[in-house]
Amino acid sequence: MWSEEMGEKVRQRITLLFWLGILLFCVLSGRLWYLSVLRADWFRERSERNRVRVVFLQALRGNIYDRNGFCLAKDVPRFRLVFLVGSGQREDVLQRIKSILGKEVAFSLRERGAGEVVLLEDVPLEDVVKIEENRGALPGVLIETYPMRSYESGEVFAPVLGYVGRISAEELKTLGKMGYRAEDRVGKSGVEAFYESVLRGREGYRRVEVDALGRVVQVLDFRPPSFTHSLQLTIDAELQKVCYEALGKRNGVVIVGDPRNGEILAFVSKPSFDPNLFSRGVTAQEWLRLIQEASNPLLVRPIQALYPPGSLFKILVALAAQEEKVVAPRETFFCPGYLEYAGRRYLCWRRGGHGRVSFEEAIAQSCNVAFYTLGLRLGPEKIARYARMFGFGENPGLDLSGVNTGFLPTPEWKRETLKEIWYPGDTMNLSIGQGYLLVTPFEMYLLLCAVAGRGKVYNPHVLFRVIDAGGQVVQETKPYLRKVITLHSQTWDAVVRGMEKVVTQGTGFNCRGLPVKLAAKTGTAQNPQGREHSWFGGFFPSDNPRFVFLVLVEHGGDGSGEAAHVARRIIEWILRERGV
Amino acid sequence: MRRDYLLYLVVASLCVLGIAAVYSVDPLREEGFWGRSFAGRQFLWNLAGWGMFILFRFADFQWFLKKSSIWYFLSVLALGAVLVFGESDETGAKRWLFSRSVQPSEIAKFAFLLFLSWYLSVNRDALGFWNLLVKSFFFTALPAFLIFLEPDLGTALVFGILWFGALLIGGWQAKKLGILSGMLFGLLPASWFFLKDYQRRRILAFLDPWQDPLGSGYNVVQSQIAIGAGGVLGQGWLSGKQTQLRFLPARYTDFIFASWCEQLGFVGGMVIICLFGVLFWVILDTATRARELEKQLFASLFGLMLLFQVGVNIGMNLGIAPVTGIPLPFVSYGGSSLFVYLACTGIVARIAWEVEEGEKRQWM
Repeated sequence: MWSEEMGEKVRQRITLLFWLGILLFCVLSGRLWYLSVLRADWFRERSERNRVRVVFLQALRGNIYDRNGFCLAKDVPRFRLVFLVGSGQREDVLQRIKSILGKEVAFSLRERGAGEVVLLEDVPLEDVVKIEENRGALPGVLIETYPMRSYESGEVFAPVLGYVGRISAEELKTLGKMGYRAEDRVGKSGVEAFYESVLRGREGYRRVEVDALGRVVQVLDFRPPSFTHSLQLTIDAELQKVCYEALGKRNGVVIVGDPRNGEILAFVSKPSFDPNLFSRGVTAQEWLRLIQEASNPLLVRPIQALYPPGSLFKILVALAAQEEKVVAPRETFFCPGYLEYAGRRYLCWRRGGHGRVSFEEAIAQSCNVAFYTLGLRLGPEKIARYARMFGFGENPGLDLSGVNTGFLPTPEWKRETLKEIWYPGDTMNLSIGQGYLLVTPFEMYLLLCAVAGRGKVYNPHVLFRVIDAGGQVVQETKPYLRKVITLHSQTWDAVVRGMEKVVTQGTGFNCRGLPVKLAAKTGTAQNPQGREHSWFGGFFPSDNPRFVFLVLVEHGGDGSGEAAHVARRIIEWILRERGV
Repeated sequence: MRRDYLLYLVVASLCVLGIAAVYSVDPLREEGFWGRSFAGRQFLWNLAGWGMFILFRFADFQWFLKKSSIWYFLSVLALGAVLVFGESDETGAKRWLFSRSVQPSEIAKFAFLLFLSWYLSVNRDALGFWNLLVKSFFFTALPAFLIFLEPDLGTALVFGILWFGALLIGGWQAKKLGILSGMLFGLLPASWFFLKDYQRRRILAFLDPWQDPLGSGYNVVQSQIAIGAGGVLGQGWLSGKQTQLRFLPARYTDFIFASWCEQLGFVGGMVIICLFGVLFWVILDTATRARELEKQLFASLFGLMLLFQVGVNIGMNLGIAPVTGIPLPFVSYGGSSLFVYLACTGIVARIAWEVEEGEKRQWM
């Protein structure tokens, strides 16, 4: 029943409510204090991050030119669509983009940074125009330009230029300190990788104030991306193309260079790949196709592939034999088509035998029996010592990334690794460039350079000079004498004469009759996988060499055939277009 | 100072402040003050609202109270009509009638307030019996459920709070109230299953907004950023970056407090909180001093409603209450809520005047 007591109780309850309310107001004030006084700086920074968006603009890379100023690689602008998460419904926007472009599109939807998704890359200009016209209907969609690497005649120059690709997670770990970002491109091989620090320019940025829909309200600050240096290579683009085409349908290697300063003029590896694929981002399918291809187009053959050198190695054995005086003046060798040693017959390539041959004729005819004999006289240790002297198994100091070295077998190695002793048969195989011996074509090229320079070996290089953005030359590669191999001049004379005779009387008959004195050597590398690899290398003019060349045709049969044909086409072009 | 004068002053300050706040975030500010701009409309509603205030200040409170079952019945009808004929807003909730001009759930609050005060005071002899509790629960649950279906969880919750508050103030035994609130808390986890998806997300976002700052936690995060970025004195009138660049959602309705604080800082925010504090005090002071139970109930329940709405709205702005569509009384843009609050304060002003006059007469 209602009473005065109840009335008093009601007043008490109202007072209770009052104090509850006061408590609530205190809580609210306290929280307001906490947010806007204690943590104001932190929230102000968050607000700043909300409204100010820094868009980093990818650094440009310098151009790459050939020695005559022909542009081989440059950056071209491309467009991409970026979507700012939180400024609209993603599905709606995607639908609208589809209807605006009027076609099906495959969105990449790659997450980039905080709250940004790349919708489309490499958008064609007409689509960019359509999107730009419909900006109002696409909240949060930005059109961004970015540089893409473009290569002229990509396949021809890929082995020397290499390619660029998006930086990988591991690369970012090491390069992150140098200012690289997850979006950046980085040189992956060749010149692009070796001269990465020179080619990489300065990244730009755009600090913009955006509203909640991602629309740019104003640009606060802008710095355009730029490049600082371009490269000019020693490569002769026209010669490179001629060499590439000279190989025809064959796979193989061509290196042409100048022995007087170490410049590389042509550096061909075939089959090759199109580096433009990597610039625009290689798809998984394309990548699989490249790495599963049996001929391995990604392999830079001149410096990464290993081959038995075959008879080309006889040049080294001949030099060693002369220098060590294991061959007497005017000594002749008799070749019945085989050499019998310890009850076994070691065959010469010519079944009928060469008959009686002198030292120089042995080079010219590439007589195995003569070189078996010389090899046995020298012994494996001396051959290995001379090979090392000429740079086998040693980093050639070439300014390209991913340089391999060959393999030089020694008795010691065989004992330790194969647990077998070194037989004289191994020595004989070594002296004709077979057996365990493996070389990179570039090592053979350097041997030829050493002979052409009579022991003077210049550091091989592909960089001609560095040019700054204004076109001024800021650095030039000076010829650098890498080493001098001192042998008696009779040694050089005898071997060079032998190599001249290769062309005039011997196995290099395919190059006979050229209007220049040519010194060369053929090689036929036996190959368990199929037809022999065909080598042909040399230099001209032989009395004052200006060009060294090396041709390797995979599965080209013997060296007097395909490789010499290819070489002849190249030499003829050089004589006609560049003169000697 | 006489309480009724103080009441006029505080409510008028809050209304002026509300117009200013809406003006500061008005997306159509250029349209001019009388035209289609939000601030202009808020001003017109204020004029009409103060008409209501004067009406209820001078009209006979008892008459309204006696007829309150009619108002209650009409408001339930209107809520039913919303579910049938109502129009949806951006969130997809049906809350409006007459081409989005009237929000019946706001009017229903007023009717329910009158009805509850009348009903309990008429049945004051039964106060403290379970019988009355069940009946009053039914009268509460009917409109609350209709509003819950719209869906508008926040407003439905206001009804529940008013009912519970009425029991509390009506002098219900503390032990029974304890049992009741224990049961309600026990049911709380079960209510999860009746919530809509977006409501669940809001609650999760309230528990940890930074979990998904661009998705469901966006409102909570952006409003806290706005308040925090305001600092002590604010970024200046009309120049908060969060507000002007529209990172803050519902700038002129639910999150008007945050945009106010971004512009005027801790000081500006404290002005609003203190004004509400004074208003709350005046209302409850009037309630304690009133002689009749129905007046005590009405004033204190109105005080409770104000406290709840202010607490939830400012609380969600500050990130300590879940996001519900409860506007800030007097300040948030919108007519229905303003009318109801001005009408209620009109009644409270009348009660305060009667109290003052009564006390004066007592001493004479």
